[in-house]
Amino acid sequence: MTRRLPVYILIDTSGSMKGEPIEAVKVGLADMVATLRQDPYALDTVCISIITFNNEVKQILPLTPLADLQLPEINTPESGPTNTGAALKMLCEMYDKEVIRGSKEKKGDWMPLLFVLTDGKPSDIMDYKNIIPVVKSHAFTNIVACAAGPKAKTEHLKQLTDNVVSLDTMDSQTFRKFFEWVSMQVQTGGKSVGTTDEVALPEPPAEVNIVI
Amino acid sequence: MMEKIIEIIKKISGEVPQNLIENFLSDTVSKFWKQYVMDIETVIKNRVESLKITIPNAMVNKEYKIEIPFDIEGVSEYSVEGLDDTGLAVEKQEKSFIISGTPTKSGTFSLSIKYRHDVSKLGEYLERKVDLIVNPDPRTLWKDLPVPDGIEYPKKNQQAEYVKVTALDGTPRKDIVAASKRGRSHANEGKPRDDDFRLYHNDENDWYVIAVADGAGSAKYSREGSRIACETAVNHCVNELKNCEKFEENITQYNLFKDESESEARKYVGDDIYKLIGVAAFKAHKAIDNEAEKKGVASKLYATTLLLAIAKKFDFGWFVATFWVGDGAICLYTEDKNGENPQSVLLGVPDEGEYAGQTRFLTMPEIFKDSTSLYKRLRFRIVNDFTALFLMTDGVSDPWFETDSNLNNSEKWQAFYKEIQDNKDHPVNLEDDNENAKDELLGWLDFWSPGNHDDRTIAILY
Repeated sequence: MTRRLPVYILIDTSGSMKGEPIEAVKVGLADMVATLRQDPYALDTVCISIITFNNEVKQILPLTPLADLQLPEINTPESGPTNTGAALKMLCEMYDKEVIRGSKEKKGDWMPLLFVLTDGKPSDIMDYKNIIPVVKSHAFTNIVACAAGPKAKTEHLKQLTDNVVSLDTMDSQTFRKFFEWVSMQVQTGGKSVGTTDEVALPEPPAEVNIVI
Repeated sequence: MMEKIIEIIKKISGEVPQNLIENFLSDTVSKFWKQYVMDIETVIKNRVESLKITIPNAMVNKEYKIEIPFDIEGVSEYSVEGLDDTGLAVEKQEKSFIISGTPTKSGTFSLSIKYRHDVSKLGEYLERKVDLIVNPDPRTLWKDLPVPDGIEYPKKNQQAEYVKVTALDGTPRKDIVAASKRGRSHANEGKPRDDDFRLYHNDENDWYVIAVADGAGSAKYSREGSRIACETAVNHCVNELKNCEKFEENITQYNLFKDESESEARKYVGDDIYKLIGVAAFKAHKAIDNEAEKKGVASKLYATTLLLAIAKKFDFGWFVATFWVGDGAICLYTEDKNGENPQSVLLGVPDEGEYAGQTRFLTMPEIFKDSTSLYKRLRFRIVNDFTALFLMTDGVSDPWFETDSNLNNSEKWQAFYKEIQDNKDHPVNLEDDNENAKDELLGWLDFWSPGNHDDRTIAILY
């Protein structure tokens, strides 16, 4: 079996994402998948999982090889909380279940990538705080958290990762650029690295602001 | 029934002409009949729309066959369209349809399933759309882009060498063949090869020296790191082996006492090996540090693995010693004349982490932090004879061995040795003195293995 590059994508589907934002996210995701399908290395190695979260958390796409992938429907309720903490909890569970660690008998996966996309702040703040050390005990090449739209808060995301970006608007052009940038990171994900080295993120497009 | 209806009408409107009554009956019946048909249509439509139809993705040039159930109560008449000129065809069965063929085009194709209910053939055809995704053939997507002109530390995309050591007093002597090739993942981006190797044979005293190195894909100047590592390490060994009577004497002594596990003789040879190839590796580490300093950058930008071996045939058998840091493999392989009874010994332990691509590099300070750290990377042994001594980077060992446990499996090495010689497209003729083997080996390095497209380097002493 080939070494896989697992890519986890967490998408906020709370009420405020309904309408244009979520439609724009879908277009961005579809573009990303189409781009990756044209990359022979990605086609051999990339596996994608999508977890959506609002008042409930669902893994709408279990870790699936790019070649077999069909994007599922993404639905948003009319309104409701943003249970980011619960989403991260499910992420850790899925990681433990799906990601293959190398051993004498088994070939290990590439270290996974994680992208979190949200337009608000966690509603389940206690759960969120408690789960962060657990997420950090799982190895990721990079965790990129994206605060989308003018209302998105970045301070909580900063606790999760140093790589926080923000999007000023939530239109399809902005999300398209964001997912193009994600694709670039996925394409460089399966590279030989040292045991300790961090991989530098590619230069983001103008629509994506790095939050310092 | 008819009389009853006429009776009711007459009660309301008195005497009515017969044809008027007939018109009324026909209009009324057709109105309700149409409504009835529409209701059935809606039911059927809901049934079809709620049917979960998942068509697995296909791939260009890969034979495809899938049966999709389409079993809707009340629908026996339907057609599936939308696969013209794709290389795929649809064959309709009673309660399913089969899509089969070898796709010629990639993309997302919209299949149109047209159906109507059995109750009335009057009804319009309804349509359900389903997507079929055809992936491109990854093999045809690889680009072979040249490395841009004028890059720092240019390196040839491939390298092959044969060290022919002719027979002495009628006894054939072993040769070395090695080949190294830029990986598809590098060629696809116009990036240079990061691997390297270097071979040497001392015609005076018959010592062989082999180095193979794999520059880290993520490190900017690793191609130069691997070159410096091979050059420096081999040069040191070459110089030390010019006058090595004392070392050879110690080896001879060791041979006499080698069955006594913790003998003095073993210690002497151990010390010699430390000074010889341990220091060679350390010098290589230092040489990279110096280059990095000259350039004013961190030495980890030159990150590389190093696999180093020296060998010589004595009256009593072969002496082989190695140093290994990083992934890849060094293996001493022996089989009998019939290619049976395989025995393999891995001369070291590959540095691998929990995740793919994690390894240790010659450039890391911890490799040389004390003599114990260095000692555990050294191996030496005496064997009667052997079939092949392999040194390879992970671009070769990963696709063929995958795991640690396979690397320690003699039968896997037997299969590997056979594969090199019997590959149907690029067999390598490992006969004594066959200098063509170097080009054959380069050809062999083109083998296909999904997901394994790193630089590939292999050296064989045989």
